[in-house]
Amino acid sequence: MITAERKPIDEIRAMIAPYKRVLVLGCGSCVAECAAGGEKETGMLASTLRMANKMEGQEVIIQEKTLDRQCVKDFVVLLDDVIDQYDAVLSLGCGAGVQAVAEMFSEIPILPALNTEFLGETRDQGYWVENCLGCGDCMLDDFGGVCPLARCSKQLLNGPCGGSREGKCEINPEVPCAWQAIIDRLDRFGSLERLEQIYPPKDWSRKQGGGPRKIMREDQQR
Amino acid sequence: MESRMSQDTKEQAGKKPRTAQGRKRTLALFYCQNTPESSEAVRQALEKKYASRVRLFPIPCSGRLDPLHLLKALEEFADAAYVIACPEGACRYFEGNTRATKRVDTTAQTIAQIGLEKGRVGIVANSKENPKPLAKLAEEILDRTRELRPSPVLERPRRGKGTKEKKDDHSRKKTH
Repeated sequence: MITAERKPIDEIRAMIAPYKRVLVLGCGSCVAECAAGGEKETGMLASTLRMANKMEGQEVIIQEKTLDRQCVKDFVVLLDDVIDQYDAVLSLGCGAGVQAVAEMFSEIPILPALNTEFLGETRDQGYWVENCLGCGDCMLDDFGGVCPLARCSKQLLNGPCGGSREGKCEINPEVPCAWQAIIDRLDRFGSLERLEQIYPPKDWSRKQGGGPRKIMREDQQR
Repeated sequence: MESRMSQDTKEQAGKKPRTAQGRKRTLALFYCQNTPESSEAVRQALEKKYASRVRLFPIPCSGRLDPLHLLKALEEFADAAYVIACPEGACRYFEGNTRATKRVDTTAQTIAQIGLEKGRVGIVANSKENPKPLAKLAEEILDRTRELRPSPVLERPRRGKGTKEKKDDHSRKKTH
């Protein structure tokens, strides 16, 4: 899923300062799962902003709403009946969500309340880790299900580097060595001979080499 | 908790029981229903005793508390919002009280970012050896929060119907 973190309150307040009627817009998908932009977080942010405005005597209307998904137009269209009541929308969606809403409502500023971080896994409650770069050419089958591009600090396709200690990366002892995990898993599968293969430099043209990527599936289209 | 209070707060201690508009300060008190002597009858008796100064909210476990509960209370009516939890290691659901502690800390950090004193929210764990009834804990928390100055969030005249009228204003034309 896509992970995100809320921007500092001061930064958010500076963004919405010019506006008198603001809709704080949550998203019930990825950013809800990572406790950054779901219904609760949207309520918390709206409440905090309202309190801040009251303390400063500012007459600003701040209301909140949460869509199931901000990155799907079928849900964004639900704003159609209410959007005109506001001068700006403060979105707690990921970057994709903010832009989807902005594209549909081009006459009103859609402001990001979150910093979108990475494609991550929920490792534990309140603990998310990056483990996919979205490179467009998955090689996890070669590396025992551990991505050296996302999880090795040096992004080595031909590792290990030799710098790890006790299974931890030399750049930070709190970071598990991805290549230690790769070797351990390949060993378990009896596939250590894969380590002898030399991989050429990664072809990044499938990530963003051709500009913004898109997927078109005719069988899924209307 | 006292150490969290600002100097400004301490200076006002005991000087001004009412705000400039004559509003009494209000405490929102969320309490675990496993607190001794915390039946509905006790809650009603306490609310009657303290009138509008204390509003009591029973929750099945302090772990049910969400920062949003505290924030909404501070935004809408309370000068302070506190939680009563079970003693450490004695939560019926094992870790509800430790979760509540973290959520209160999160709320304190949030309100500090907009200039509210962290001491406006807090959590009080009951004693394991000598558990106190709800009435006693409420009294202690009320004493503690008495030192807070009136909430600057609630000091301005409350906007009632006027806000709603604006909220429902559909007179603006569509721009797309």
